[in-house]
Amino acid sequence: MNFFLKKLLIVVPTLYIAWTVVFVTLNIIPGDPVNLMLGGRPASDEVRENVRKNLGLDKPVIERYGSFLINATKGDLGKSYLTRQPVTKMIKENMWPTIELSIGGLIFGVFFGVLFGVFAGTKPNSIRDTISMIIALCGISLPSFWIGMMLIYIFGTTLGWVPIVGDGFVSLILPSISVGLFFAGGMARLTRSSLVDVLNQDYIRTARSKGISKYNIILKHSLRNAMIPPVTLLGIQFGLLITGAVITEEVFARPGLGQLLLQAILAKDIPLVQALVVYMTAVYIFLNLIVDFTYGIIDPRIRLERKNQ
Amino acid sequence: MKKIFKTIFGISTLFFSLSFFSMANALDIVFAEDRPDLRTLDPRITQSRHEEMLIVNIFDQLIAADSEGNHYPGLAKSWEVSGDGLEYTFNLRNDVTFHDGTKFNAAAVKATFDSIVDPETGSQGAVDILGPYKETVVVDDYTAKVVFERRYGSALTAFTETELSIVSPTALSELGNEGFGMAPVGTGPFMFKNWEANKKVELVRNPDYNWAPEYMDGSGPSQVANLTYRLIKDTSTRVAALEAGEIDIAELVPPLDMNRFDGSGELSTIAGTVSGLPYAAFLNTTVGVFQDINVRKAFFHSLDRVKMTSDLFFGYADAAFGPISSSTPSYWKGNEDYYGYNPDGAVALLEEAGWKMGSDGVREKNGEKLTVFFPCLLEPDTCVAIQGYANKVGFDVNVEVVMKARQDELIFANGYDMLVIRWVSLDPGVLIIPFHSRNIPQPGKFKFNWARYANPELDQLLEDAESAETQETKDDLYMQIQKHIMDQAIFLAIHDQVQTVAYNPELEGVRFANGNWQLRMYDVRKK
Repeated sequence: MNFFLKKLLIVVPTLYIAWTVVFVTLNIIPGDPVNLMLGGRPASDEVRENVRKNLGLDKPVIERYGSFLINATKGDLGKSYLTRQPVTKMIKENMWPTIELSIGGLIFGVFFGVLFGVFAGTKPNSIRDTISMIIALCGISLPSFWIGMMLIYIFGTTLGWVPIVGDGFVSLILPSISVGLFFAGGMARLTRSSLVDVLNQDYIRTARSKGISKYNIILKHSLRNAMIPPVTLLGIQFGLLITGAVITEEVFARPGLGQLLLQAILAKDIPLVQALVVYMTAVYIFLNLIVDFTYGIIDPRIRLERKNQ
Repeated sequence: MKKIFKTIFGISTLFFSLSFFSMANALDIVFAEDRPDLRTLDPRITQSRHEEMLIVNIFDQLIAADSEGNHYPGLAKSWEVSGDGLEYTFNLRNDVTFHDGTKFNAAAVKATFDSIVDPETGSQGAVDILGPYKETVVVDDYTAKVVFERRYGSALTAFTETELSIVSPTALSELGNEGFGMAPVGTGPFMFKNWEANKKVELVRNPDYNWAPEYMDGSGPSQVANLTYRLIKDTSTRVAALEAGEIDIAELVPPLDMNRFDGSGELSTIAGTVSGLPYAAFLNTTVGVFQDINVRKAFFHSLDRVKMTSDLFFGYADAAFGPISSSTPSYWKGNEDYYGYNPDGAVALLEEAGWKMGSDGVREKNGEKLTVFFPCLLEPDTCVAIQGYANKVGFDVNVEVVMKARQDELIFANGYDMLVIRWVSLDPGVLIIPFHSRNIPQPGKFKFNWARYANPELDQLLEDAESAETQETKDDLYMQIQKHIMDQAIFLAIHDQVQTVAYNPELEGVRFANGNWQLRMYDVRKK
């Protein structure tokens, strides 16, 4: 319990630092939010002053920083400059599509990542190992906009199997593959190397000499021990996904947090960027906690060590 | 197990046939809109032509206008202008209701215009278009008199603008300004139904619509039952979804694809020349090499705008020559006689101005190079084409692709030699904003006279044109203004802005709204 309390206590200063950094950065970078809001359209001075006042930008920076911190601790992250809607509402609207895509990518990535990893790792330096790892390398290194466009071209336009921009579950297939491929590539490589390590351990040799079947050795004895590094990677990559996959969202014209953040940054929508950063830091901290917790489930020795501390 | 499969099969067949049945009875149209980040659908607040793409189908204006800009009775059956040009009396239709059931009348007109000038509303476009508005007088239920502080030559065009659409006063007071922008209520052929942020906006046909302007083909409610705006930013995805038949009409289709569709007949296309300022560059008259008018003229002469435009747009856009595009009212034909492609003339002008060719292909004068700093916000490929042409006569054009924030910084600091611009506008009155000396940017004050050109004579012409009494005087004044700008070589027009639309060839009746950017969907139907 002590362990988790400690972790939780770190959350407060982390959030404070993240908020301050983002506030300062956004106020330093050039560009007038009023002009960005007006989209470069001809507007009279009267209009510009009205907009400035409406946004509260006529107040000094220090005052804005102070009221931002006070309101944020109250859970009020302010209203967007762009839409004048509460930013929490905007984040909520874009959160579900992002969660959908993240889970889709996760399922695809873990399934194919572990499959290819085990396929390659159980027979290192063979042809099937080489081929699997080349595929994994492609998954990691091919840019997602290219993968997205190819998927659209092959399965959407040419074969017409799946909708490109449609609604519902089927429309999730191509984007999930698009983000999942990167995921799968990393998982496969890490699962393989970790598995190769474990398979060379003495206890595996012992198990083999006892005549335990090959599948039992891989599934029960090796894989569980080999999963610690891939789970760590899983945490990081899921964190990346859940904070928005900008390019995949754009190629498949999906709403999501990535698009929202991009729009907010380009328009210098300070309250929205701040709120998204707050959300993203919170998600990372939370995911790290889960990963830490999972170690204990996978390997009981880690749980014991923590207790002894 | 078999039973489960059978049930699933049965249910899905039923759903399939049901959806097929409903399709046969009503036309559903999906339009691919280029911008995902729509912010408001309130015509009084918006400044975005992308938001107006939807607004134009939800609302009506007092005066209707077709794509040519001709005026027709709209929500007003007729109108009268007082002798002094200050009062516009509108005789309103008495058979119109808003989507929420509120009756349209003179009080609604007053509520709309009064709220536009209220600073609380935060209007970004309409308040400027409404000009020197004083008040609206409700003469009787169906007579409204709009009064201006001073003569406003662009008033009639202003009443056709989407920004001056009439909004439901009931909805406005119930929803407030912010709520109204997310659930707009007008009198137009389509009603707002649903908005999924960053994804789509759904409209449904207004079943009571019986007041289509006379230039439309149809009457009564539209044949389009459901109108969905799918927001697809990525151009290749937009085109792929169009070709796959998932969407019916797409905007901003790349010229290369337009060319392909026209060749194959796979999809129908229309292209509109947008009125307002063409894609053009301001040359900075206060710093650097462009302070010399002969250098500016030489730069103009070095460009083959006709060839450049046809290379980049495959004939879908025309080269532009004047400060306003050829589809804008009061356009002056004389613009086209200026600064044709003439590299020899450009060289002669530069030689005369003392710029001698250096060994590296860049001209020099007193040890200074003929260098032009060109921050490029719009259409980088066009910027690079300009660079290539100007280089042939000895200019060293330094193109930097910038974001808006960086451009702002350079404008405040007067740190550029040329900048590009383009605007949609229905009226030549827009010229006062980029060419009046009061609009020269200052540090911290963003304004649009990027040539930083100050001339009292031009200022006076612009002010006079704004309050011109007759169309003839107005045309004459704008002719003089265009001539002045051309003589001074401060604004280098490159090509007309073009809206390129491709659509399902089974459809007809796709038409541009005034200004040639937005599409009116009312007349869309199956052939």
